[in-house]
Amino acid sequence: MIQMFHVSKSYEGGVPALVDVTLKIPKGDFLFITGPSGAGKSTLLKIMFGSEAPTEGQIILDGRNYVRIPSAELPELRRRIGFVFQDFKLLPNKTVFENVALSLKVMGVAPSDVKRRVARMLSYVKLQHRANFKPLQLSGGEQQRVAIARALVKDPAIILADEPTGNLDPALSIQIIELFREVSSRGTTVVVATHDKMLIEKYARRTVALEGGRLIG
Amino acid sequence: MSKSGSADLVYILGDALRSLRENVGTTILTSFTLAFSLAIFSLFVFVIMNLNGVVEGWGEKTQIIVYVKDASVGQADSLKQALGRLPGVKSAEYISKEKALAELKDELKGHEGILDGVDANPLPASFEVRVRDEFNQPERIAELAGRIKALEWAEDVQYSREWVEKLSAFIKFIQLAAIAMGVFLGAATLFIISNTIRLAVYARKDEIEIMKLVGASDMYVKVPFVLEGLIQGLFGGLLAMCILAVGRYAVLSEIPAYLRFAVEMPFSTVLFLAFLTGAGMLMGVAGSLISMNRFLKV
Ligand SMILES: Nc1ncnc2c1ncn2[C@@H]1O[C@H](COP(=O)(O)OP(=O)(O)O)[C@@H](O)[C@H]1O
Ligand SMILES: [Mg+2]
Repeated sequence: MIQMFHVSKSYEGGVPALVDVTLKIPKGDFLFITGPSGAGKSTLLKIMFGSEAPTEGQIILDGRNYVRIPSAELPELRRRIGFVFQDFKLLPNKTVFENVALSLKVMGVAPSDVKRRVARMLSYVKLQHRANFKPLQLSGGEQQRVAIARALVKDPAIILADEPTGNLDPALSIQIIELFREVSSRGTTVVVATHDKMLIEKYARRTVALEGGRLIG
Repeated sequence: MSKSGSADLVYILGDALRSLRENVGTTILTSFTLAFSLAIFSLFVFVIMNLNGVVEGWGEKTQIIVYVKDASVGQADSLKQALGRLPGVKSAEYISKEKALAELKDELKGHEGILDGVDANPLPASFEVRVRDEFNQPERIAELAGRIKALEWAEDVQYSREWVEKLSAFIKFIQLAAIAMGVFLGAATLFIISNTIRLAVYARKDEIEIMKLVGASDMYVKVPFVLEGLIQGLFGGLLAMCILAVGRYAVLSEIPAYLRFAVEMPFSTVLFLAFLTGAGMLMGVAGSLISMNRFLKV
C-alpha cells in the first residue's frame, strides 16, 4: 500500500511540479496516472521511489511514514520496487542480459538463479534473441522492453512504470500492459504513468489525472 | 522474492572482479599516471636528500685547528683527552709533525724538490677539532675557539668565522628552497593524480547512478572502485620503481662520476617500494571514494 498526504514538490527555481497531492493506492491495485506532458507524473513516481524528496507532505509505504526516505533505506526499498524509467537508464556497455541481471545481482541472487530468471523474463518481453546485444544496437521499443524486463525480473512488490509504452506500437503496448495486469492479479501493486489515450480508454478501470501538478479526478 | 538484505562480500567481490576486467583500459592508464607522477616526485626527493646529505657533510668537516707548541708534543694523548672534555667538542684528530710533513709532501707531489735543504721538520703538530652540531653556530664556535686558545699548550687556533656563517646560511637556504619546491611539486602530483581518478570515476557516473536506482547498496557500488584503486596503486608503485631504476640506469653514464651520488637511492629498496605502493593505493582508494560520493546520492 502506498499513500501520499498533501504532497507538494517544487524543483529549485522552477514552477511547482506537484501541488497538495493526496493519494491512496491499495496493495495489488492497478492504477494509471494520466495527464499532459509536464503535469507532474514523473515527479509523482520519483517521490514514491525515493529519488526525489517532497517539499511538503508525507508518504506512507507499508505502514511507515516518511517525510523523506532515509538514504540508508533506499536500497532495500528499491529492491521491492521495479521502476521503468522514462529514459530507460540502461548501461550502454553491458549486454541486454547483463542489464536485466543487474537488478538481481545487486540483491545477491545466486548466479544460477540469475541466469534462469533473466532468460525467462527476456522471453516474456520477446527479447530472447537480443540477449547478447548492447542497448544501442536495439530499437527504441526494444530498449523499452529491456527496461521493463529489468523492472519485472525481481518479482517486485510494486511496479512504477513511467511512460512504459511510449516507444511501442499499439499491439506491443497492449501486450506489455497485459503483462502488468497479470503481475498485478498476483498481488503486485502497479502504477503506470502515461499520456497514451488509447490505453486510457481501453483500461479505464482506474485512472488518476494530473494537471499542472494537481489531481483532477 | 529471493534473498534480500545486503549481498554478502564474496558475492560483491565476484561482481567487482568482473567490473574490474571491463575497466582494464582505464585502470592501466591511471596506473601509468600514478607511476610517472610518483616517479617524478621521488626523483626530486632523492636528489634533494642526497644533496642535503652532502651539504650537511660540509658542516661535518674540521671546524677548528689547534696548533700544538713543540714543547708539548710528547703529551699528545693527554692533550687530546683534555680537548675532548671541553663542552662542544665532538672529536679531535691528532696530526703529528711527521704526518703534517707527509701530507705536505703528498700535496707537493712532483715538486718535492722545494723541500730539499729543509733539515728539521718546520711544521707544527696540530689537532683537527670537530664541533658538536648544536655548537655549529658562529658565536658558539668563536667562544669554543677562545677557550681552546687559552690552553697553555696551544700555539695558535685557526677557524674561519666567515666560512661557518656562510655555510650555515647556505644550508638553511638550500633546505628552505627544497621544502618550497617539494611542497609545490607534491601539490602538483596530488592534483594530477586526483584529477585522473576523478575523470575515471566521472566517466562511470551513469553506471553508479543506475546501480543505485536498481537497489545496489553503497558498498556494492564502492567495492569495485576500491579494488581498482588498490590495483592501480600497486601497479603504479611498482611501475614508478621501474621507471626510476631504468631512468637512473639511462642517465648514469651521462653523469660525471662525482655527481652520481645525486641519483643514488637514499632508502632501502624494499622500504621505498612499500612506501610507493602504499602511497599509490591510498591515493587510488581515497581518490575514488571521494570522487564517487556525490554520484551515490540518487
Ligand atoms: N529535475 C528537474 N528540475 C527542474 N524542474 C523539473 C525537473 N523535473 C521536472 N521538472 C519540472 O516539473 C514539472 C513536472 O515535470 P514531470 O514530473 O517530468 O512531468 P511529466 O512526467 O508529467 O511530463 C515540469 O514543469 C518540469 O519542467
Ligand atoms: Mg514524465
